[in-house]
Amino acid sequence: MSETPSSTGVKRRDFLKILGTTGALAGCNMDEPGKLIPYLVSPDNTVPGVSTYYATTCRECSAGCGIISETRDGRSIKLEGNPDHPVNRGALCAQGQAALQGLYNPDRHRGPMIRRNNRLESATWEEAAALLAQKLRDARADGSASRAVFINEHESGSFPAFLDGVLGAFGIPAHLPYHAEGDTGAAMAHQEAYGAAWPRLDFSAARLIVSFGADFLDGWGASVPQQLDFANARAALDRAPRFIYIGPRRSLTGLNADEWIDCKPGSELSIARAVLGVGGSAADAATQSGVSAERLTRLAAEIAAARPNLVLASGTTGSGGELASAVAAFNRGAGNVGTTILQGEQIVGLSGAATYAEMIDLVGRMNNGQVPMLFVRGVNPVYSMPKAAGFGEAMAKVPFKVGFSSYPDETSALCDLVLPDHHSLEQWGDAEPIPGVLGLQQPVMDPVFNTRATADVLLVAARADATIAGRFPQATYRDWLIARFPGGASAFAGALTTGLARGAPARTTAARRAVPPAAAPTGIEQTEGDFYFLPYPSPTLGMGEGANKPWLQELPDPVSKICWQSWVEIHPLTAQRMGIDSGDHISIRTSVGEVTAPAFLYLGIRQDTVAMPMGQGHTAYGRFAKGIGVNALDAAPSVLDPRTGSFLPVATKARVTKAAGHSRLVTTEGSARQHGRGIARAMLASELGTPKVEHGHEFMGDASHAFLPGLRAPVANDAQGELGSDLSASKGMYAPDHWSGMAKRRWAMTIDLARCTGCSACMTACYAENNIPTVGAPHQGPQLFPDRTGAGANITRSREMTWIRIERYFEGGEHGENEFEARFIPMLCQHCGNAPCEPVCPVYATYHAPDGLNIQVYNRCVGTRYCSNNCPYKVRYFNWFGYGEPDRPQYAFPEPLNWQLNPDVTVRSKGVMEKCTFCVQRIREAENRATVEKRAMQPDEFTVACAQACPSRAITFGDAAEAGWAVNELIEDRRAYHVFEELNTFTAVVYLQKVNHPAPGSPAPAAAAAGVPHGE
Amino acid sequence: MASSATPLGSPLGDPLRRPNIATGDVQLPAVRDYEQVDREIIGTLHPTVAWFIGLGTAILFLIIGAAAWIYQIYAGLGVAGYNPPVMWGVYIITFVFWVGIGHAGTLISAILYLFRAGFRTTIYRCAEAMTVFAVMTAGLFPILHLGRPWKFFWLIPYPNWRMIWPNFKSPLVWDVFAILTYLTVSSTFLYVGLIPDIAVLRDRETNPVRKRIFAVLSMGWRNTDREWRHFARMYLFLAAFSTPLVLSVHSVVSFDFAMSLVPGWHATIFPPYFVAGAIFSGIGMVFTIIIPLRKWFGLKHYVTLNHLDAAAKLCLFTSLVVGLAYITEFWVAWYSGNKIEQEYFWNRVFGQWWWAAWIMLICNMVLPLSLFSQALRRNTTWLFILSIFINIGMWFERFVIVIPSLSHEYEPWQWTTYAPTWVDYAILAGSFGWFSMWFLLFIKQLPVIAIAEVKEIIPPKMRHGHGRHDQGVEHGGIANPLTAGGPHTTGGTH
Repeated sequence: MSETPSSTGVKRRDFLKILGTTGALAGCNMDEPGKLIPYLVSPDNTVPGVSTYYATTCRECSAGCGIISETRDGRSIKLEGNPDHPVNRGALCAQGQAALQGLYNPDRHRGPMIRRNNRLESATWEEAAALLAQKLRDARADGSASRAVFINEHESGSFPAFLDGVLGAFGIPAHLPYHAEGDTGAAMAHQEAYGAAWPRLDFSAARLIVSFGADFLDGWGASVPQQLDFANARAALDRAPRFIYIGPRRSLTGLNADEWIDCKPGSELSIARAVLGVGGSAADAATQSGVSAERLTRLAAEIAAARPNLVLASGTTGSGGELASAVAAFNRGAGNVGTTILQGEQIVGLSGAATYAEMIDLVGRMNNGQVPMLFVRGVNPVYSMPKAAGFGEAMAKVPFKVGFSSYPDETSALCDLVLPDHHSLEQWGDAEPIPGVLGLQQPVMDPVFNTRATADVLLVAARADATIAGRFPQATYRDWLIARFPGGASAFAGALTTGLARGAPARTTAARRAVPPAAAPTGIEQTEGDFYFLPYPSPTLGMGEGANKPWLQELPDPVSKICWQSWVEIHPLTAQRMGIDSGDHISIRTSVGEVTAPAFLYLGIRQDTVAMPMGQGHTAYGRFAKGIGVNALDAAPSVLDPRTGSFLPVATKARVTKAAGHSRLVTTEGSARQHGRGIARAMLASELGTPKVEHGHEFMGDASHAFLPGLRAPVANDAQGELGSDLSASKGMYAPDHWSGMAKRRWAMTIDLARCTGCSACMTACYAENNIPTVGAPHQGPQLFPDRTGAGANITRSREMTWIRIERYFEGGEHGENEFEARFIPMLCQHCGNAPCEPVCPVYATYHAPDGLNIQVYNRCVGTRYCSNNCPYKVRYFNWFGYGEPDRPQYAFPEPLNWQLNPDVTVRSKGVMEKCTFCVQRIREAENRATVEKRAMQPDEFTVACAQACPSRAITFGDAAEAGWAVNELIEDRRAYHVFEELNTFTAVVYLQKVNHPAPGSPAPAAAAAGVPHGE
Repeated sequence: MASSATPLGSPLGDPLRRPNIATGDVQLPAVRDYEQVDREIIGTLHPTVAWFIGLGTAILFLIIGAAAWIYQIYAGLGVAGYNPPVMWGVYIITFVFWVGIGHAGTLISAILYLFRAGFRTTIYRCAEAMTVFAVMTAGLFPILHLGRPWKFFWLIPYPNWRMIWPNFKSPLVWDVFAILTYLTVSSTFLYVGLIPDIAVLRDRETNPVRKRIFAVLSMGWRNTDREWRHFARMYLFLAAFSTPLVLSVHSVVSFDFAMSLVPGWHATIFPPYFVAGAIFSGIGMVFTIIIPLRKWFGLKHYVTLNHLDAAAKLCLFTSLVVGLAYITEFWVAWYSGNKIEQEYFWNRVFGQWWWAAWIMLICNMVLPLSLFSQALRRNTTWLFILSIFINIGMWFERFVIVIPSLSHEYEPWQWTTYAPTWVDYAILAGSFGWFSMWFLLFIKQLPVIAIAEVKEIIPPKMRHGHGRHDQGVEHGGIANPLTAGGPHTTGGTH
């Protein structure tokens, strides 16, 4: 790996150093020649220090959400959802946020590489392009091209058609659009039943939602639009649909359900048949699934009574594609299509992916030596297919392998020629989010490394071949796109401002090779073992593509709250029976392999099942991924669904034993129980009509506080009583009439727990906006005689820096019962009006701003950490190491990750405290903008990063002291409460209680009823 | 004995003019004359091989601690075992521990002086030196535990063009004042008390350089009646001045905890509880130091079993106070009806931190009950062993205050645990090295027993009298040593 070329720019820090020393050392020679600032002569309309915003399309998954890149001085620093985009409507998930860390990944290929002497060696683009052109020309000439294979990441837009055009010119068959995580089984069932592979799911229209393992909030389909619609539906409160989740494991989606039916893996189909009334009796289903017949009968009655409803089924459960088909047929029969299933607004990007069967077919052909040439772009099948599928071994038999990956992943390590592609934020393209809409993709900055867009590389190769050059008049892919854009270049340029256009992308006409249907696999019950084995895609890392991004590695799994680690989920009662403690290693042995990982005791899994997230256990893929955890797929057999040809991860039982060894879980969880402290509160939908009772005065002698005055009272703005005092006349900058006086404002936030799904996108958005260091990489622990090493060493000491964190509390299930409730609550600095942290700071490093903010002055902080001790919410984070100092092993932003740093936010130094600032830089920017434009600030004219990203729209930020801001209405909600109100902190964060929907006719669970005041 | 008639605390007469002597059970029967006092006490000042080994060990520990600190400054506080939200750890525990140690000295030298408790005479110098060095040690820790120790001076109010003062609402700022005040007053008190003794050393010294130094340090003490008057007034004044500090300094230290809203910290009992604990731990440390010292220095007839017995009673008393405070804490937690407080105390004693809590309870509350037995009070081996337990117990008391509270606060999601690292241990060991180094240097340079005060309580060599049988009679007014000058004669003989 070559060094970062210095010509790519000078670090901001260096720039400042140079600025600082230029006066003193005028004329001295500097060691680091290069550009002082990214733009010496800036393009028109850019002002140093002022951001430019480019609308483009997110390519992290195939949904094709619209994003806006905030670009400062030529560098993209933040991705935000495009509010006009029909798919994500302004929201953005954690993976989308983390695209920046793919762009600036320090382990990206620096340039093209050619295998020489069995080693990949750096080459120039001229050499690499010449080699590619020659190989393609030769293949075309000798006809071997017809057996060559191009695997591309599955994506919508014109590129697939363009690619097939180029491939066709060389005589190569149509490419394989592979998507490791995509549920091709469900897509096929949807296509058959609804005429759309991935319709929009209108949860609001449904009166009941039933999901058979369909994790629509964490990875099944397009999670951002599904989450938006789901949250909107749940925000209807008493009119919200009840949600039942059926499956052996409660995923994040399952935890958002009102009821969990824990069936055996593989028995979903029998339940579906019984409860949906499509043949099959409850008694049979009960025998197969381990769920009582009464419960299934009740469920059937509930489904029958609630119309319209929305029943969803994954194609990757143990029941495979047949389940998805049965459920889709039910929806069709029940008239849900067109009401809760909107096939007209389908997510186009989720249709047309290659099936796993096609990949297995390819493995067979490669093994037989039938594939002379293999191209892989944007996917990593060597990692993301089960080891048992043997893709890597088969690929090694291909004489000439070309990788377009930008990252040193497992697949590109096997390639003979590596032609690193631009990151999606560096290249042109388009996508088709929903039918009739074109999402445009444009470079938001110059390429970070010496990479080239694959489309351009292919064009160069095609134009170099005289026989076919005439078919490619455009020299670049951008020209090609413009040429087919209605209205030409000017219309194209106009459309780029919104990133959206009406129209359709080019469509491929080439047909892919047909694959014969697979034989029916051995039933899961017939496999050997004592536990069902359930590998599942990680909600944060997917099938491993997120593992090289420290933000995603550091983002705790929304369910287990573990990061930087692999784990095995096992039921607490099972663990007790087997003598397994949390963190003890568990070995899972199947017919194809064995994996060992520490145990995570989880209530939300059947007692006869163990589950494991995928995504870890990379053997390559850069410093943040390699060697962390294990790959659950190493123990998964390569099983095909006979009906749909998709991969069935849940297909075997396993022998589960306690293994030697114990690892500390790298978890951010302390206690998963609220201990009756009323932190995450919930109420029953039926209670919404009852008058509100003030709670939180259970402590003897505790005075009652009227709710709103708590937020708006003078004390909230002026807890120290400074502003009202006559003595404040001589207060200098603390005086109320000082120019910075903004006492009329009170910045506040509401968080609606009925909306929050716990997806954690807000956390990554906060990391991106506020330059929060990740601290869990293997090299970031103490270096000299450390007592904890490896990935997550700091996090085992709770040293994560999550300014906003999602706490996941369980209610019920104390004795291992499966009736338990999960409550998610985002916890961040509450910006108390009467903040306990403020009086204890000896140096005024934290103090109260006149606009209600609790300010942390990094420069003034000496690091006594008293503020954190006194914070009841525990939302203050300390810089234990020099995470922001480049010369330290703990440096969190190795070049060029530091290019992403927000110039408006300080990178904190070692030894100081930090915490949520309510994005004070955004507040001040908005104030300044209003001042410059000589106007008053408009209500809701800006928002904070977490609220902006939130795909559930649970977070609302605004000024509680000025009418018109949305936050004002919400704080008067029936459900509003403050956490630890009894401590007189007068917080600025108001939570709205979660609303639970118990089964109709069932007695209200005692826990839920008691949970209204104090969450138990 | 006739001396039992000593009118201690009598309203009659001027107490100031009376020798600061003790009740009969702390007389020194084996000390016969002034010359013996001079000889024996000054005789302890010769460095020995064992002393050099001890000093070397202390310095070695200091170097280990200093190296660990340098590494910690370089690498960041992350090398210590902090486990947020346990943001305070071994350093704050050790800070409070050393401040506590520092309280016995002033208690013994000042409060017991005012109360005319005779048993203080032969142990107070040692205790006072211990105080000064303990406070010097304690003072390092608040700096040591800072995230940016090089900015520690921001806690001190000094004029600056930014017009930014420290936050006078913060108990940490109060700490700065409390510790600095205490260090100033206690070292002044130590020094003033030393002046007559330094004069003795000056007169006995043959090395001209050292003689000169002692001459300067003794401020030209000439043993005149006028000097004694001023000295006595000054000493009384300083004793009176120090007395409230004994109470206030550790009260202020306790405010670090009591002023916060952390469960287990936010308690009004903390100031008296801390003061009692401080005195208790200080007396424990006095035993730890003086029992070996009286043996190695051959001072058993100065620090007699009677002295130790009396000090052990004080130890027992403070132990009972501390034990009462523990029980009161539990009771208040229960009585408050505050679930968070109750859960915290349950967790402290029967949960996560049971082992630390029981170390504390057994060492500080249970074992000292043995001092109800006079035989054990007079058994130096037991006293020494017990004092070690008290030291451990009092360190763990602070551990139990600091760690379980922070690890088990309001927000269950943020409940954690805590484990120190080698850096914590090295710095803890370094603090003992630092303290021992100063103490060892002190005991070979300056008398560890107050020569002048010992001379007050042995019978002066009178022309017509032989021994202490006369003393009771002399109290009738014949030979007040303060005015007669005899006992304070620097040469020791006429």
